[in-house]
Amino acid sequence: MKPPEIDIRDAFFNEVYAIAKEDSNVIFITADMGAHSLVKFKKDLPKQYINIGIAEQNMVSVAAGLALGGKKVFIYTIIPFATFRCYEQIKMDLCCMNLPVVVVGAGPGLTYGSDGPSHHATSDIAVMRALPQISILNPSDSCLAAYCARIAYESVSPVYVRIDKGRQPLIHKEKDKFPDGLVLLRGGSQLTIISTGLMVHHALKVAESLDGHGISSAVVDLYMIKPLNESLLLSAINKIKHIVTVEENSIVGGIGSIISEFLNDHGLFIPLKRIALPDQHCFESGNRESMHKYFRLDEENIKKDILSWVSAV
Amino acid sequence: MQDNIARLKDKAGWVRRQVLEMIVSAGKGHIGGAFSCTDILVALYYGGILHFNPSDPKWPGRDRFILSKGHSAAALYVILSDLGYFSSSCIGNYQKEGCILGGHPHRRIPGIEGDTGSLGHGLGIGAGLALSAKMDKVDFLACVLIGDGECYEGSVWEAAMFASHQRLSNLIGILDKNGLCSTDRIQDCLDLDPLDKKWQSFGWDVVNVAGHSFEDLLSVFSNIRFRKSNKPLMIIANTIKGKGVSFMESNPNWHHAVPNDEEFKIAVKELGGCRQKGVDS
Repeated sequence: MKPPEIDIRDAFFNEVYAIAKEDSNVIFITADMGAHSLVKFKKDLPKQYINIGIAEQNMVSVAAGLALGGKKVFIYTIIPFATFRCYEQIKMDLCCMNLPVVVVGAGPGLTYGSDGPSHHATSDIAVMRALPQISILNPSDSCLAAYCARIAYESVSPVYVRIDKGRQPLIHKEKDKFPDGLVLLRGGSQLTIISTGLMVHHALKVAESLDGHGISSAVVDLYMIKPLNESLLLSAINKIKHIVTVEENSIVGGIGSIISEFLNDHGLFIPLKRIALPDQHCFESGNRESMHKYFRLDEENIKKDILSWVSAV
Repeated sequence: MQDNIARLKDKAGWVRRQVLEMIVSAGKGHIGGAFSCTDILVALYYGGILHFNPSDPKWPGRDRFILSKGHSAAALYVILSDLGYFSSSCIGNYQKEGCILGGHPHRRIPGIEGDTGSLGHGLGIGAGLALSAKMDKVDFLACVLIGDGECYEGSVWEAAMFASHQRLSNLIGILDKNGLCSTDRIQDCLDLDPLDKKWQSFGWDVVNVAGHSFEDLLSVFSNIRFRKSNKPLMIIANTIKGKGVSFMESNPNWHHAVPNDEEFKIAVKELGGCRQKGVDS
């Protein structure tokens, strides 16, 4: 049965709530950041819920201490504060000690739109993937978000989850049957688009419109950005002539860089087009959609850029 | 009592001598801070204060000691090795190729409870450990040694607020107040005093203690498990950086300098030539 469409962040937290109800060792810490679904968590499980205040460095260190004491800890705030602000604590307290703490960051890419660079998350993949031990998850819909909550709970190492907000159409049908790390959403013989999170929705629509231009395009939902499931990825790009990465991250260090490194490391000389945000801060006003247009990350411009690139290589 | 004090003094002298030899042999290490906290560590580990079991390092009932000022690891390594956590041969190879004992402690070393070296992390980790003990209704203590220079880190005060709000009476902080940071005197850099009032205003119980007096240290430490308060406790130990070697004492140059041959000889003489382990406990 098709699950109901709900806010992707609520889908994640509802699953965490269900897990925490079963396992009293699960502790949820927020750095004074809310979500609709957390109201229920706080009310029903007050002993497992802590608002630690706007103190992200301490949030990570306390989570590490709780994990050393045998707790499974989820920590949560907006991405820049969950990553950059406390990066050294994540490195030392979580990754060096390899503790199974889940860092939940809200608002990938330009989710927070006109709130500006302080709230944008366009380089967090680059810095977080540089840390040994940590896994990075970026679900594209509420189905996958709930599944990612389970993966994070079961992990014995640190996990970073980039979680969007809002009601997105469902891409995935099943709640708990996903290939490890990536999903081939759509087959295609000529070109593969690899994307993550919200941009997977754009990628699917672009692939459909490329059909009309005679380009058979596959789409990969790379929901686990690190570690990369290399064998699945190799099969997803088998006999493909062109690869395009589409992401709402900086061109520096995101999934375009990951795929580029992957191709090089495997001696695969398949032309690669990286569609991403430019290496600059975004001070534009407007909503996420208008910013996508501005940076050519809307479906029409992605399609145009792919067509002109394919015809040129 | 007096025999016990003499035993601890002997042990502390021996630990400092070992630290001196390790750092000279390695050609690197933080000698000043290791010497300022040596007596604190000796009192905790040999004075019957901390609960631990070297033959079962992960014994659930053990107290969790976090050396938040991780650069003072050399002194802790000597003690852990002496207590049987790992072979004394490791001590001779401190910071050398293939040796597990680096400049800063990590949990791959038996007896070490937290990876440190970056300042301002240990108190939050200790607070998390103390909270887990409260949640599980177990009675181990989380004991965290921090430096006064470390108190410049904002994260120390984030942890301080959290610990008092959560009423973590099982969290014991010890502040090695040696008056120096890495390159300067605290009072000339950013004056931290009155530190005791700062900690009190953050909701902690505070005790001042002479950090090189075993009588004082034991008198305070012996009560940490039997407190009536629901506040965390900060023990401010007034110490001397480089304690035990006259030319190192309170001299900012000895944060991580390495003695030359002549300085080594003087240091050995002043430390009393303590080549023995001290009277066994």
